[in-house]
Amino acid sequence: MSTTLEARGPEGDGAGGTSWRRSYHLRAWSFTAPGVVWVFAFTIFPLAHTLYLSLQSTGLGGNRFVGLRNFVRLWSDYRFWSALRLTLTFVAVSVVVTLVVGTVLALAVNRGVRGTRVFRTLSILPMFAAPIALGYLGLTIFYQQGGPINNVLAAVGLRPVPWLSDGRWALVSILAVDVWQWTPFVFLVVLAALQNVPAELLEAARIETSSSWPVLTRITFPLIRGPLGTVIILRIVEAFKVFDIPFTLTNGGPGVATRSLTYDVYTTGLRNQNFGYAASIAVVMLVLVMVVAIVFYRSYGSTYE
Amino acid sequence: MTDRDGIRRLGGVPARSDRLKDVVASAILVLAAVWVLFPFYWAAITSLKQPVDVFRLSFVPWVQFSPTLSNWRSELFYRGSAIFGGLGNSFLIGLGACLVAMALGTLAGYGLARFRYRGWRNRDISLYFLSQRFLPPAATILPFFYFAQRLDLLDTRIILIAANATFTMPFAVLLMRDAFHGIPIEMEEAARVDGASSLQILLRISLPLTAPTLVAAGIISFAFTWNEFLFAFVLSYSRAVPMSVLIAGTQDVMGVQFWYVSTRLLLAILPPAIVVLIVQRYIVTGLTLGAVKG
Amino acid sequence: MAKRCSTYAVLAGFLLVGTAGVSQAAASMDELEKSTAEKAFAAAPKGKPNPAWKGQTFTIATLAAGPRGAISGPLYFWKPYFEKLTGATYRVVEIAFGDMQAKIETDFASGASQYDAVVGGQFMMGDYVANDWIIPVDKYLNDPSYPKMDLDSIAPAYKALDRWGDHWYAFNNDHDGMILYYRRDLFSDKKWQDQFQVKYKYALPNPPKTWQQLLDVASFFNSVEWNGPGKEHQGVSLHLKVGEQGFFDFLSIAAPYVVSAAPGGNPKKVTRYNNVFWFDPTDMKPLVNTAPFVKALETEIALYKAGSSAQLSWALGEAWNAFLGGQAAMCYSFGDVTPLAESAANSVIKGKVAASPTPGSTEVWDFQGKKWVKASGVNLVGNVDGASWSGVISRKAKNPDLVAYFLAWQGTPEINHWNTTWGFTGINPGTKYDFFAPFGTAKVEDYVNAGYDRQDAIDYVNAYQKQDFEYPLQLPYLRIPGTPAYLESLDVHLSEALSGHVSAQEALNRIASDWDEITDRLERDKQVKFYREAIGYTGG
Repeated sequence: MSTTLEARGPEGDGAGGTSWRRSYHLRAWSFTAPGVVWVFAFTIFPLAHTLYLSLQSTGLGGNRFVGLRNFVRLWSDYRFWSALRLTLTFVAVSVVVTLVVGTVLALAVNRGVRGTRVFRTLSILPMFAAPIALGYLGLTIFYQQGGPINNVLAAVGLRPVPWLSDGRWALVSILAVDVWQWTPFVFLVVLAALQNVPAELLEAARIETSSSWPVLTRITFPLIRGPLGTVIILRIVEAFKVFDIPFTLTNGGPGVATRSLTYDVYTTGLRNQNFGYAASIAVVMLVLVMVVAIVFYRSYGSTYE
Repeated sequence: MTDRDGIRRLGGVPARSDRLKDVVASAILVLAAVWVLFPFYWAAITSLKQPVDVFRLSFVPWVQFSPTLSNWRSELFYRGSAIFGGLGNSFLIGLGACLVAMALGTLAGYGLARFRYRGWRNRDISLYFLSQRFLPPAATILPFFYFAQRLDLLDTRIILIAANATFTMPFAVLLMRDAFHGIPIEMEEAARVDGASSLQILLRISLPLTAPTLVAAGIISFAFTWNEFLFAFVLSYSRAVPMSVLIAGTQDVMGVQFWYVSTRLLLAILPPAIVVLIVQRYIVTGLTLGAVKG
Repeated sequence: MAKRCSTYAVLAGFLLVGTAGVSQAAASMDELEKSTAEKAFAAAPKGKPNPAWKGQTFTIATLAAGPRGAISGPLYFWKPYFEKLTGATYRVVEIAFGDMQAKIETDFASGASQYDAVVGGQFMMGDYVANDWIIPVDKYLNDPSYPKMDLDSIAPAYKALDRWGDHWYAFNNDHDGMILYYRRDLFSDKKWQDQFQVKYKYALPNPPKTWQQLLDVASFFNSVEWNGPGKEHQGVSLHLKVGEQGFFDFLSIAAPYVVSAAPGGNPKKVTRYNNVFWFDPTDMKPLVNTAPFVKALETEIALYKAGSSAQLSWALGEAWNAFLGGQAAMCYSFGDVTPLAESAANSVIKGKVAASPTPGSTEVWDFQGKKWVKASGVNLVGNVDGASWSGVISRKAKNPDLVAYFLAWQGTPEINHWNTTWGFTGINPGTKYDFFAPFGTAKVEDYVNAGYDRQDAIDYVNAYQKQDFEYPLQLPYLRIPGTPAYLESLDVHLSEALSGHVSAQEALNRIASDWDEITDRLERDKQVKFYREAIGYTGG
């Protein structure tokens, strides 16, 4: 890589020797060290503390060491499994839906019909609307009686949907808000990737076949696989953290139907003041995320060389 | 060939199937636009409704309900100091986080772009920063709360700046690294021959050349901090309360005051909306941390 | 002159936003509000403010509801009067309701404590006292330099909440409790009376005296079109959304099945089996999954079905709106319903709102014999459901005397009663000054002048008076350390049962198991001690 200043690496041209090499590495680290130390102080160190907390039980007088008891309790706690199941379902559905809708939109916009520039600009807005405001506002949109959605459904002769009072529909409601907010992200990335596909390639393919489906599947998709993969991973990790929407729209209900893992950590730790147990839930979340991270590093790590 | 919308089109005369597809595409676009804009429209009319109207369905002002400015008046005058305080806090915290993240991130990005590390490879360091985005805030919120309490940093802007700088540093590191990669080495070599230090080279030569990315990364950092909720909610309760928490404050003992949620939503989305529209060209690169060139 | 001014105000309003009617009414209400407040201020005891307080300020934390909202409203409203009275002032910090516990505990526990006083929920009292975060206020109660509150006029159940053990900690302010609201016009309509009689073989109870009767009535009104053809007609409206205080409904339903009078001369005496509710006072074993609670939950599930299925997603606002908007025949809730019903901006049923105290039960569970016994008559158990927002003083307050002066002043009969008559304050009646003669000193005119329909006001005030002063028994209020955790478990599992996810017994078993964990985590023997102090159990 000719952009590396010391293109020949720390070995230099052999003339400097060890002291030059040492000063090279010193200089190198002086740039990254501040950031590295900061992240350590504000991430690694707190993580260690969370781990430590997860081995404690929080009582009236403070914390008591209890080893792995929190995790044992977690294993048999149906509320934990419910939150885990809910979170994973949420991630899976959200990623799939935003992917499909975003890609379809990108394909549609890529045709270049009029108004696409305006639409592309508008589509940035949802990503920067505060999720909690959307959640609260969503309450009025999802009203069973007198909400605009059910109103429209009634107008076309369908029965009103219990958006927030039925466990399964409540999940659909929070998914709807999340999809609304993050589809633009997929859309914009896929669009950018589509536009990087050389037009000549597509024209050549067009000459071979006039039907667009094979062009799409054999040429376009493989060429945008990289960005698609990145988008999928980023969506997965974002969706995994979901909190704002269940917090505002459903309070995790009805029952525990929409209680995400982060919501559980918040309620257990900061409302019920049961820090030890909350930390153990957080540790589990961490482990799950690390699995995703490792998959990501294996597949895409080389782009960061 | 690029048409006037900046979208590349295939050349040639559109076939009839193409025209049909165009119609479908336009229809999709229109539907999508309605879908994107509806919540904002809903927020706008809800902010103009009397509380009792909020529970009754109505879409069109004047026709279906009498609009009132009382919610806006109440928010901007009665609660004005709280609202502007919230906006001010959001701004200061966003700015602070952005500056810290950009400062440390630019340095690290430059290092990663220009040096070959030993022991810990460049790729490992990059992924170390990137993994920040993967980290669930739930995993660090409890210790943050605990230490902030012990160090009397609760309800201060400092602690929120620190937290948000951490969350948004990956954007700075990876975007700036990308940007520095794009600057030809020759520009720096001349200065190096003259005896300038690496830092001086960075500041005087390379950094100015990366200005667009610098701005974009800074703005992404700012925008993400603006909407951050969990940490702001837990770590602040009176003096350092940003806008996102003020929105949560509309839920009182009787339920949510939707009319205030709407006014605050609209007030809260204005700054990031304006600012993001300025840098929309860099949005894709920014949001994917450099993996996809927008 | 005054009339001409208000006409101009009307025209201006019309021109600006086309809400002329509201504008004019608001203008004259504002005048009345001000004049009655001036009178109350003049008449209220003022003690003797310390001149050294001039220019000082303190911080008071409370519910986030704004200058015209519940609980925080009066703090903003009375500030200029307080400044005139003492030369000192205060800063109001608003905290989102859902996070009050966490934020207040955080502040009290931190070194840089900002809150000098907190007007918070009484359910936090246990945590406050256990952690020694607040100061006892006995010394201010009989000191002539401080405004004198009339402690004897406070209903016993609320007085108990202001105390812990042998000391007073909180100042008289809000008095929460839930009562039944129903549509007077429907219940007195012969058509519905006849139909009900035919279907249920007894006369339509006006009002329902037991929960069983209430269930019958709710099912009845849910099934007939009393609201006109094709329009919504719900039997009852309950706020059952998880995380929105829905569990109080369950507590009120369970109370008459669970709480029994003690044998002997003092029916209110707390024994192991009488006047207990949450736990067995000897060992903190949860009682929540025993037979009477199961029956209560099954009753609540049936009640839920006698109304809209959307109730599971209704917070207070939506549930009240169903009743106030004329869709539901009954509503069981806090003391905000009638005040809201009287304002045209919020309701269409002004003049039709009757109220009655909480229904009871004809049978009670005998914990000792583990069987149902027939009550003599109807077992009536009152409640103080809710938060009963009251002021306490932080141990770290820089000027506790000044803070105590303010809180005592707010608790004086004149100011406190004014707060209860003006709905925006969210303060509910609970002292003799709020109730009518011959029992109390309030006049119906106070309410009529504030915009209430005469009969609505009478029914509302009398319902609370009966429940607070005439009901023989009361539902014990939970305020031990860890209360939010206990209540959260209750809330979530109840929601599971209501949504049909699990059976009533299973949900209650889950609650009991959660409660045992919490008790053990907080150390059982300590909790036993706190619980006994909280409910006044001294053995037996």
